[in-house]
Amino acid sequence: MLRKEQNDLLTQTGPGTPGGRLFRSYWIPALLADELPENDCPPVRVKLLSERLIAFRDTNGRYGLMDEFCAHRGVSLWFGRNEECGLRCPYHGWKYDVTGQCLEVPSEPEESGFAKKIKLKSYPLAERGGVLWTYMGDPATQPPLPEWEFVMVPPTHTYTSKRLQESNWLQAMEGGIDSSHVSFLHRGDLNSDPLFKGAKGNQYNLSDARPVFEVVESPGGLYIGARRNAEEGKYYWRITQWVMPSFTMIAPRGNHSVHGHFWIPIDDETCWAWSYDYHPIRALTDAELTAMRAGKGIHVALEPGSYRPLANKDNDYLIDRAAQKAGRTFSGVEGIGMQDASLQESMGPVVDRTKENLVSTDNGIIMARHRLLRAVKALIDKNVTPPGVDLEHQKVRSAAVVLPPDQPFKEGAREALIARPDVAPASV
Amino acid sequence: MQSESARMSTTAELRFRVQAPNARARATAVVSLDAASEAFVRQLAARTWNQARFLKAAAPASAGAMDAEDGWLWTIDGERTSIADEVTRADQVIMVAGPGGHAVAVTAIGRECSRQRVTTTGLIVGAAEASDVEISRTLAQLRPWSLMVVMANTDEYIGDMMVALRV
Repeated sequence: MLRKEQNDLLTQTGPGTPGGRLFRSYWIPALLADELPENDCPPVRVKLLSERLIAFRDTNGRYGLMDEFCAHRGVSLWFGRNEECGLRCPYHGWKYDVTGQCLEVPSEPEESGFAKKIKLKSYPLAERGGVLWTYMGDPATQPPLPEWEFVMVPPTHTYTSKRLQESNWLQAMEGGIDSSHVSFLHRGDLNSDPLFKGAKGNQYNLSDARPVFEVVESPGGLYIGARRNAEEGKYYWRITQWVMPSFTMIAPRGNHSVHGHFWIPIDDETCWAWSYDYHPIRALTDAELTAMRAGKGIHVALEPGSYRPLANKDNDYLIDRAAQKAGRTFSGVEGIGMQDASLQESMGPVVDRTKENLVSTDNGIIMARHRLLRAVKALIDKNVTPPGVDLEHQKVRSAAVVLPPDQPFKEGAREALIARPDVAPASV
Repeated sequence: MQSESARMSTTAELRFRVQAPNARARATAVVSLDAASEAFVRQLAARTWNQARFLKAAAPASAGAMDAEDGWLWTIDGERTSIADEVTRADQVIMVAGPGGHAVAVTAIGRECSRQRVTTTGLIVGAAEASDVEISRTLAQLRPWSLMVVMANTDEYIGDMMVALRV
């Protein structure tokens, strides 16, 4: 349970809000690099943290992200002409560069200097790992570009997708650290999904359906350990990483790729669910990439030409009651990603946390909220940089390991929980 | 026609959600398992809660010296009580211990909770300053009897967790 004012604090991320200031402390994923595939390509409308923006790539390959609307009469620059190192409004020809600086106002004499006085709000936009990242905070405190392992490995080793989620970011992110739902909602997929099946760890999952959980604070967020019985009195641990504000990495299975999410607010009622899959020491296979593009694993099939899932609330998520009854899927919705999204969207645009009744196994969620609230307060009251900004906090890995029964998993998997180049993930 | 999923998850439909209470207060027993955790539990007991009892366990030489009736359990105010009675009236039990492995009473409490099918949560306070060896000793005691184990860097977490659980 959260009080209403706490719920508002964490779920509202628009300009001027405390939660918005928290998100504006980080580089966040804004677009896939493929959305701006070449110089002078069409601009793309982007809404992030309740701000309407336009992204474009100029003649020299520089990326820009700025206020969507022309300073003259408020026309959307999505209609603009991307030409000769600038985006030109088609209404009266005002032209802007990637920093939002107006370059030309054709109706005014060039000598007047009028154009120099016009500048749209803009944010840096930089490519790393096939993702275009932006930083929407105070330029004076702009951190270095992010170094999440999935964007630092060679391009052949990594795949990222995004989908629209029609709910607030927090209820989506909380699903990512709620390890206890896996035994129910996703139970049908462990042995059938091509990106999960075949791992020895799956047998531990299926033979011990009542995992026990441990939550431990990490420098950047939380380690969430799910413990099951293994051989000879040992424990099989699946350790999820959560790094503030909204990065998660799920424990790997066998030699499958490692995966996880970012949840980034579009506004207070929708968010982008970013999903990545990578392997630290090998290229993804053609079969893996084909499966990911087809919406397997944590990815989803999309409506052609959009980032909206094919199964969405307008078609009741293509729910299959026969599959539900037969146990092929637990909820009747197909695919891990949409199983999560359908239920999270059903909560409503912003779930009312004053009404919920949490239980002991929700401690991962409780602790994450606790840390977020603490970080917002420290940021607003004392200007303390929140966890997750430090690049060291980003060099993390999830892990699946077998450990002796009395060993703290943080100690037993100490090396495995850190991203190290050319070192295989700890997986079972 | 708009699907029911699309309609019911709109902001407009939120105002039609039933406003009646959806749960009764859960009775919670919060037990200090060792001297290191007693001060934290005592501070919690001074706050206002819906339905909570705050207890402290003695520290006998071994778990074998304890059974459900031998009077090793007290309320935080010093009244003797029994674990069987406390678990009977509780919906959940929160066990609090410091690092170092002095949580001997967890076995007797856990066994009684297991017998009565009552949920247990184990919390380690003061973990941030403790060594791995000390943490390991307490974990070895808590793990067999806790559905959830939590190690927070700040001890204020316990109070926040209890509020979140509607204690």
